[in-house]
Amino acid sequence: MPDKETTSFMRSLCMGQIEQEVLFPFPALTADQKETLHEIASAVDDLLVPRAEDFRHWDVAGEMPADFIEELSQFGLFGLIIPEAYGGMGLSNMSYSRTLQQVGRHDASVAVTIGAHSSIGMRGLLLLGTEEQKQRYMPGLATGERIAAFCLTEAGAGSDAAAIKTTAEKQDDHWLLNGSKLWITNGGIANFFTVFARTKQEDGSGKMTAFIVTSDMQGVSIGPHEDKMGLRASSTTTVLLDNVKVPPENVLGEPGKGFKVAMQILNSGRTGLGGGSVGGMKHLIELATAQANERKTFGEPISSYGLIKEKVGRMVVDCYTSEAVVTMVGGLIDAGYKEYAVEAAISKVYATECLWRSADEALQIAGGNGYMREYPYERIVRDSRINRIFEGTNEILRLFIALTAMNDVACQLQELASTMKDVFNDPIKGFGVLSDYAREHATLRTGLGGSAKLQDLDEAIAPQAETFETETRYLAQAADRILRKHGKNIIGKQFATKRLAEIMIDLFVLASTLSRVQTSIECNGVEAASREIDILRVFTREARARMKQNFRRIDNNDDELLKALADDAFEVERFRWDTI
Amino acid sequence: MKILVGIKRVVDYNVRIRVLSDGSGVDTDGVKMSVNPFDEIALEEALRIRDAGNAEEVIVVSAGGDECQQQLRTGLAMGADRAIQIQTSADLQPLSTARAFLKIIEREDPGLVLLGKQAIDDDNSQTAQMLAALWDRPQATFASKLELDGQSATVTREVDAGLETIEVDLPAVISVDLRLNEPRFVKLPDIMKAKRKPLDVIPLEELGVAAEGNLEVGHYAPPPQREKGIMVEDAAQLVEELKNRGLI
Ligand SMILES: Cc1cc2nc3c(=O)[nH]c(=O)nc-3n(C[C@H](O)[C@H](O)[C@H](O)COP(=O)(O)OP(=O)(O)OC[C@H]3O[C@@H](n4cnc5c(N)ncnc54)[C@H](O)[C@@H]3O)c2cc1C
Ligand SMILES: Cc1cc2nc3c(=O)[nH]c(=O)nc-3n(C[C@H](O)[C@H](O)[C@H](O)COP(=O)(O)OP(=O)(O)OC[C@H]3O[C@@H](n4cnc5c(N)ncnc54)[C@H](O)[C@@H]3O)c2cc1C
Repeated sequence: MPDKETTSFMRSLCMGQIEQEVLFPFPALTADQKETLHEIASAVDDLLVPRAEDFRHWDVAGEMPADFIEELSQFGLFGLIIPEAYGGMGLSNMSYSRTLQQVGRHDASVAVTIGAHSSIGMRGLLLLGTEEQKQRYMPGLATGERIAAFCLTEAGAGSDAAAIKTTAEKQDDHWLLNGSKLWITNGGIANFFTVFARTKQEDGSGKMTAFIVTSDMQGVSIGPHEDKMGLRASSTTTVLLDNVKVPPENVLGEPGKGFKVAMQILNSGRTGLGGGSVGGMKHLIELATAQANERKTFGEPISSYGLIKEKVGRMVVDCYTSEAVVTMVGGLIDAGYKEYAVEAAISKVYATECLWRSADEALQIAGGNGYMREYPYERIVRDSRINRIFEGTNEILRLFIALTAMNDVACQLQELASTMKDVFNDPIKGFGVLSDYAREHATLRTGLGGSAKLQDLDEAIAPQAETFETETRYLAQAADRILRKHGKNIIGKQFATKRLAEIMIDLFVLASTLSRVQTSIECNGVEAASREIDILRVFTREARARMKQNFRRIDNNDDELLKALADDAFEVERFRWDTI
Repeated sequence: MKILVGIKRVVDYNVRIRVLSDGSGVDTDGVKMSVNPFDEIALEEALRIRDAGNAEEVIVVSAGGDECQQQLRTGLAMGADRAIQIQTSADLQPLSTARAFLKIIEREDPGLVLLGKQAIDDDNSQTAQMLAALWDRPQATFASKLELDGQSATVTREVDAGLETIEVDLPAVISVDLRLNEPRFVKLPDIMKAKRKPLDVIPLEELGVAAEGNLEVGHYAPPPQREKGIMVEDAAQLVEELKNRGLI
């Protein structure tokens, strides 16, 4: 068995090693978990289906009424991941993700309200809280009597989270917190805040520490409800901390280790957003298919036209493959793997972009109606846009995905190792800290147990398995080549880094989909899995073309031209040309 | 007093039913299944009776394959105390179901049996009536109001002519109609609690009941698509249109 403390499928893959056992068989829920999820899904539907009209109104009004949030609490949606011993449901990561999927089908604002509470707001307490802290807060968080929020972002610190200015000063018997947090989901309804602040260490350096802050503490105040593009009914506010005295027992995790705490929370919570995205896609497929069957042009339903089928077919492929990666990451976490940050980042990037594409295409299928507010499409488009920005922008996550892998490769390359030593923790470059986080775990097992081949896959999917093996070999070569080409400068070479990230994303999605289809074949036979095999075929062919293109562009590209054009535009801050 | 409530697993009422292309049945693959809505109403009534102190235990019973445990769990999550699955892979017809339920009645000795007036899949509306006859106890069907009074129950029935109120001695079989009550929502923590409640599985053969049928299904077909209506100006045009269609 692979060592769960150190094995990361993708990080090994970048060194040409396929750790097949990590991803095969596809993670399955137990019969008992499935039964529970059936019931949860059915109860969620019963609760939310009759609210469809309300969701539309609350989007326009830009707020969810307090008594509906009370209803969500009563229903038990705030206790999903809290252990049963503290009054929650104790759902596994996979089950949690599937539950948010069900909520996400109905309304994104509700999904985000629940998600911000469970995925990030109180997850730090769950992962790192002391028994005493858990005893104190968990029961209230489980019933929704306490709603949680995650407070990291500030006006000057979004992607560059390490730049936060909120301070925590150690005084006699407490910490004194000062600062202001921006765009905090659930800000207006929460009374439990996981707050990140800068603390002076004994050596004088300013490090980050995580604190539990509650709204009954003097000096905590909340700004007005933000007027947003989407997720309009979910609460987003500033959270102001003015000389807030926080007792020492409210430090979450180790003092000075706050950045790591934040990353751990975000990584572990990714399957919530992923699940919500998959739920959104399933809903869009229902809407778009019904719409296309109904609408006639030129005497035929538009569902009979190739260009509409192309869109819907892609939506199906996107949804199946997204569900494969999101479930896979949930499965890795539940199985006890510790090195899943890269895989989780891939699932976030991939699922949120698939949802965005599906929402855009479903709107297109609806034609002019899609643009009208009385139809659901424009709202879904607005609601899904944020997913590519929060919980780490997809750009930053791409850099993280590829740089983490290249850091591993650099460590392997003897001749580069010494010159590369400090490259990956240059905090000025913003994401340096992220890589630093990854590197702390970089006692990564490399190049040992994996093989360059996938074993024992059904013959029906052999061509796709072979594509995976071939492109994996190219991936390892490409990582090596990019590093040798750019050496220390790799941090500044974002075009190259992004290409590697795109290839890694395609390969992880391909691997997860191979696993899902293989397991389906094993359980149900090739015949029954034939549509799933078709999905795999479509995805593989497209991914292969993308990967080939990305490999080719490593050496043959217009990067410098594009950069020059951008630099020129930055200089004049306008478009230079005109026809008059 | 114990109350026995029958629960059937059916295609959810929100699902658009698709008939299999060979007409052999209804497509249930990947389709949402639920507790028959009338059975939910029966269970809600039983829970209210229990919670008002007029019964000690509510037992939900379902006959079917292991899938129907899902619906029994939903019953437990709503608040039933325990569940019994009469295990069979056969699709039982009303008479067999009634015979099997009678065996459970003999084991449990309930003071009241509450069933839905019909299941929304086959719309048979026979099990309650047959069960009362087999058990040789009074029946009250299509209840829209139910009051217990010691050894008897006063039941308001929805009949074609309107409402009818009758009194039945207990134990009795009562089948319930839509307007009797509004069933409660299941809350998530109840689902977890339900996992710890007992669910007994009894194979149909063990009850000595055969899954035999006196009904034969020819084939399934979707109802013909409704044609688009037209607006008529006046009575004369209405008569005209009806004549044109050969309806009068
Ligand atoms: C509706 C909503 C809810 C939110 N909820 C929360 C919450 O609950 N808690 C919380 O703490 N925060 C929350 N946020 C904040 C969110 O996490 C940040 O908006 C996000 O991290 C991006 O930061 P920023 O907006 O400052 O953008 P910036 O960091 O300024 O980024 C601007 C652009 O530059 C790109 N970029 C930045 N650095 C680099 C780089 N080094 N290389 C290449 N490109 C780069 C980014 O990808 C982005 O496209 C929320 C935001 C919104 C809009
Ligand atoms: C804001 C707004 C302003 C507008 N202003 C005007 C205006 O000033 N004057 C005016 O006359 N109209 C106007 N329109 C109408 C607009 O031109 C139509 O919405 C547009 O032509 C699309 O028609 P439709 O909405 O009926 O979509 P449909 O024709 O129903 O198309 C639905 C989808 O099916 C696809 N499709 C249709 N037929 C086929 C086919 N044979 N093969 C493949 N795909 C097919 C379409 O590409 C689309 O994706 C406006 C619409 C909006 C939303």
